[in-house]
Amino acid sequence: MADTKILAVCGKGGVGKTSISSLMVRMLRSRSGLKILAIDADPAVGLATALGIRVRKTVDDIRKSLIGDIRKGEAQGGRETLRLLDYEVFDALEERDGFSLLAIGRPEDEGCFCKVNSLLKDIIGDLAGSFDIVLIDGEAGIEQINRRVMKTVDHLVLISDTSVKGLGVAHAISRVASEKKAVDFKSMGLILNRVRNRAETDDIRARTRLPIYGWITEDELIRDFDFRGRSLLELPDASPVLSSVSDMLARIGVLQG
Amino acid sequence: MELFAGTIDALRILVEAAACRRSWPADEKVQWPCGGGRNIVFKEDMALELGSPETESVSCLLWTEDISCIDPGTVTMIGPDFTESHGRSLPFGKVVLLAVEGFSEDNAYERHRDLDLLRYDLDLKGFMIRAVSQHMREWCRISRDALAQGLSAHVLGSSIIRLYRKTPYVKGVEIIFFTSSVHDVRRLGEITAPSGLIVAAMNKMASEMDFECSSCDYRAVCGEAEGLKGMRDRLMDRSRRSVHG
Repeated sequence: MADTKILAVCGKGGVGKTSISSLMVRMLRSRSGLKILAIDADPAVGLATALGIRVRKTVDDIRKSLIGDIRKGEAQGGRETLRLLDYEVFDALEERDGFSLLAIGRPEDEGCFCKVNSLLKDIIGDLAGSFDIVLIDGEAGIEQINRRVMKTVDHLVLISDTSVKGLGVAHAISRVASEKKAVDFKSMGLILNRVRNRAETDDIRARTRLPIYGWITEDELIRDFDFRGRSLLELPDASPVLSSVSDMLARIGVLQG
Repeated sequence: MELFAGTIDALRILVEAAACRRSWPADEKVQWPCGGGRNIVFKEDMALELGSPETESVSCLLWTEDISCIDPGTVTMIGPDFTESHGRSLPFGKVVLLAVEGFSEDNAYERHRDLDLLRYDLDLKGFMIRAVSQHMREWCRISRDALAQGLSAHVLGSSIIRLYRKTPYVKGVEIIFFTSSVHDVRRLGEITAPSGLIVAAMNKMASEMDFECSSCDYRAVCGEAEGLKGMRDRLMDRSRRSVHG
C-alpha cells in the first residue's frame, strides 16, 4: 500500500462530513488517471446517497452472512473463508465513472467474531492498496474506523462547523487519535464548514492548535442540491466550493495544486 | 482412490455433445507477463468479464488416478474464445481435470484443498480471479490491454496446466472452458454438483468432532462414494484411538 494515500474524514454529526467527502470525491475523480476508493463507514450510508449510489451490499451484510454460516456449521477453513470474503467484498464494490465505493454498513451487534472482522479489515486494506486515493467518510469518532475499516490512515481530516460543540468534538477526536493512539496517522488538520466570513476562521485559528486545511462558506447551490436530493457529483465545474475543496486537497497533500 | 469417476463420465458426455467445441494442445512454455500479485481489473480497464455474480458461473476441480480418463495437456473451449467475444460479459464454466497418484483416505482432503487453492497462484497480468469454492463459482476479468495482447483460452488454459504440473503428485492436466451459453454453464453446474457435495462432505468430516452419520446432511453422498466411506472410517478410527489412548 506504499503509494496509496488514505484520508479519514471525521467530525460531529451534522457538520457536513458527508457533503465535504462527496465534494472531495468530485474533485479527485476529475483528475484523470487517479483511482479513487470512497469508503462509506457511516451506518446510514449517507456518502453513497450523496454520490448517487444505491448500495446493494455492505461489508456488514457479508459479515452477518458468514457468521450465519459459522453458526450453522457450514463455514470452511481459514483460507477458503478468506477467499469467500474477498469475492464478496469485491462484489460489494460499486464501480462508477472515476471512482468506486464500498459501504461498511451497521456496526456489528451479534457478539464477538474478531476473526471475521480481522479478515474483513485485511481484505479492505488489500483492496485499498489497488487505489491511488482512499477516502473514508467515518462516523463521529475515529475508533470505529480503526475497529471496522483500517488501522492506519495518512491524513486525518476533522470537519467542524463554527459552533463550539462542533469544534469540541473535533478536538476530542484529535485527542483520542493522538493520545490514545486510536489510529495511526501522519497528519491531522481541520476543515471548517459553513463559515460566514474570514474573521470567523481567524477567530477559530487563534483558539486551536490544529492546522486548518481550509474553510467552506455557506453555499446556496449545495443547500439546493441537498434539498432536491441531487448527487454532489453533478455540481458544475465553476462552483466556487469546488475550487476551495481543490485547494484543501492540495494543502493536505493528496492533489497537486 | 476415486471420488469423482461418475462426474467425470457425465462431463465427458456433455463435452462430446457440444457443437461449438475446439481443442488445442497446451503450450506449457507460453509466456505471459506476471501481474506482480496485484491483479485487480477495474471495470474501467476491463474488456471482458467471465462468470460475474450477475451470470452463471461454475468452477470445478476433479481428479482421478486413472490417467486414461483425461486428455492430458489439452485445452478445450466450448463457446467463443475470449478474443472473439462481442460483449463485455460471458457466462463461464471452468473444469480442471487432473490425473493424480498416491491419493488415499489419509491425504485426499488435504491434497484436494491444496489443489483447489492453487488457482489463486495464477498470476497473469491483466487477469483477475475471484472465486468461492463453497459455491463452485469463479469470476474473472480480463483487461483491455491483456485482451489486445492476446490473452486467449489457450494462453489461460496452458498457464493453468503449467501451474498444476508443478505439483509432484499431478501427472496430467486437462482444462475445459465453457462460454457458450447460460444454459450450457447451468447444465455443467448440474453435472458437477455431485462433486461439490463430495467436497462439502470432506470439509464436514475434516472439521467435525463426532461422526453422527444418522443425522448428517451428507449421508447420501457418503453412502454412494466409496472413497468417502473409507475416509470417514479412517477418521473415526483415528478419533477413537485418540480418545482411548
